Amino acid sequence: MSSKSFNKRTAATFFLGSAISGSWYTATSALFAGQIGEVLPVVGAIVLAGITPFAMNALRSGSDQPLENHNMAQRLKAFDSHAIVNILDTGGILTQVNDRFIELTGYARDQLIGQPVSMLYNERSRELAAEMRATLMQGKTWQGETPLRCADGRVIQTQCTVMPLFDQQGAWAGSISARTDVTHANELLAERDTAETLYELRDDIWIVDAETLRFSYMNRVAMSRTGWRNDSYSERTLQDLAEKSGNQTVLEACRNLSASGKGMTQFDTEIMGNHFQVTIKLLPIGGTAGRFLIMMHDITDIIDEERMKSEFISMVSHELRSPLTSIKGSMGLLLSRAAGELPSKARALLEISHRNADRLVLIINDILDLEKISNGRLEFNLQKIDISELLRETSAANASLEQRHGVRIQVENADAPMQVVTDPNRVIQVLTNFLSNAAKFSKPGERIVIRAQETDDELRISVSDRGPGIPASEEHKVFQRFADLSNSSRAEKGGTGLGLSVCKAIVENLGGKIGFDSREGFGTTFYFTLPKKNSLVAAEEPASLLREAS
Amino acid sequence: MIKLLHVEDDADIREIALMALELSGDFDVVQCETGEVALKQVQSYTPDVILLDMMMPGMTGRQTLEKMREMDSLRDVPAIFMTARAQHNEIEELRDLGAADVISKPFDPIALADQVKAAMQGA
Repeated sequence: MSSKSFNKRTAATFFLGSAISGSWYTATSALFAGQIGEVLPVVGAIVLAGITPFAMNALRSGSDQPLENHNMAQRLKAFDSHAIVNILDTGGILTQVNDRFIELTGYARDQLIGQPVSMLYNERSRELAAEMRATLMQGKTWQGETPLRCADGRVIQTQCTVMPLFDQQGAWAGSISARTDVTHANELLAERDTAETLYELRDDIWIVDAETLRFSYMNRVAMSRTGWRNDSYSERTLQDLAEKSGNQTVLEACRNLSASGKGMTQFDTEIMGNHFQVTIKLLPIGGTAGRFLIMMHDITDIIDEERMKSEFISMVSHELRSPLTSIKGSMGLLLSRAAGELPSKARALLEISHRNADRLVLIINDILDLEKISNGRLEFNLQKIDISELLRETSAANASLEQRHGVRIQVENADAPMQVVTDPNRVIQVLTNFLSNAAKFSKPGERIVIRAQETDDELRISVSDRGPGIPASEEHKVFQRFADLSNSSRAEKGGTGLGLSVCKAIVENLGGKIGFDSREGFGTTFYFTLPKKNSLVAAEEPASLLREAS
Repeated sequence: MIKLLHVEDDADIREIALMALELSGDFDVVQCETGEVALKQVQSYTPDVILLDMMMPGMTGRQTLEKMREMDSLRDVPAIFMTARAQHNEIEELRDLGAADVISKPFDPIALADQVKAAMQGA
């Protein structure tokens, strides 16, 4: 090697070192803030600027060529201890790696040399490698964060600067990568972000020592609400908060959590004029009683909005009923010949109007029911009843369906009394809906069968028809609101599109299950169950005879 | 003839109820559009049965009945409410107030006369 060519190469590598260190400084300064941000870019830049030329020479010439300059050897040692360096040929094959690379990734040198660099990348970073390669081929530097897969499968994050290498004729000869492990720095960054997020969160966050019940952390909104500051909340306890707010709920919930050994509890409560959804987690810390993480989500606005929506729906429904009373009443009187005999065509048209007015009333009733259910305001009047008798009565009450659709409704297996505590009116509502659907989808002359079955735990009541059945592809829609099934035209069948979703909500509020079995072309059986155990417990508690659905 | 006092703010509903009750031929109906007017009416008229709308501007049906119950002549007269909002607890409250029945709106005009007679018998 002539001294001229050595000097030219040395100058080029010094330039490369400066470029790498400059890029490193820019990248790390942008990435980190605070103490890490101040130190890491400076150290990295200094090391890269000073070391890269010598490192490249050393790596190029191989480890067997003695270094003439002792100072250079020291600097290379410093470089080796800091940066992760590798050299690739133009085919992306690893030709050189430094000791730090070996140490950090856990591979043996001979496991790496001669292997494609892609072995160190996962699927996503393979895309990065392609991007990197395209940049290098244009003679440009690539910078970014890349993961490296270690020998034991771990993935470490590295901040990486890659520069193209050129041979003496100026042709692209490969690349050199200098990396720094930023896995830990990223974790610190994530922890800092988490802490900042918690602090700025709109929800109240409290951390309380489970033994002393003293606060060990409050975020900004929690401090603002209590009026306690950073320097004073650690002197306060949950007992102080209970006295200040006049609400013992959180304190008692924490005590119960400690006593029960459960990990978490959730409830709604009102504190200092606001409604909160409170979640308390008991975080175990070895050898201590642990800490309570208390998260309070302010739901005051949500409750207000729900109340206003509920009042609006209730008001609209009520306002619709008054004109409907007049419309239905007038048509009812006309149909009853109160104004004399009507021409047959006029009568037929009036019947259509009357039937659709009925349908409107049903829709309004269903909307009101669903609104009450969603707000937990649907009332259930629990009584001890004989379900067999109720089935027979419901069948008789729906005799008009037999006349209208030409079907026969039969009750089977309901001779013996079957006692259950439930809301008879709501059970009739569900059964009537099942019967009405069965009649609409049956042909004249077909049978609709109501059955009751009793097991140790529950009663199962079903309504079977021999109608067209429900296509398997549409079964998932059956309990959806306003579901459009292919063989069911609501206008034609007179349904509301809400009935079955109301039934589902009613049955579930009564502690039962609802479902159906259907075979296309052979018919459908809709069923629901009523629990015997829960309902009997309810019967022993007179206070719960009239309860609001939860 | 049964003397019936009907208190209802909606003129159309008053007309339909009047036609429906007159169809039966058993009722002599007096109608008022508000609770306040009804309270004046009962100074000189003592009905056999009172049919009251719940939601009215001014005095509600409930307030009207409470005032009527303060009068000796009306203390035991059967009262029937008509309401567009018939929740179970509301119905129970109205019954506690002495309501003989609670009829949901929209009502069936053909069945109205029979419903009133049945409520009077059960009261």
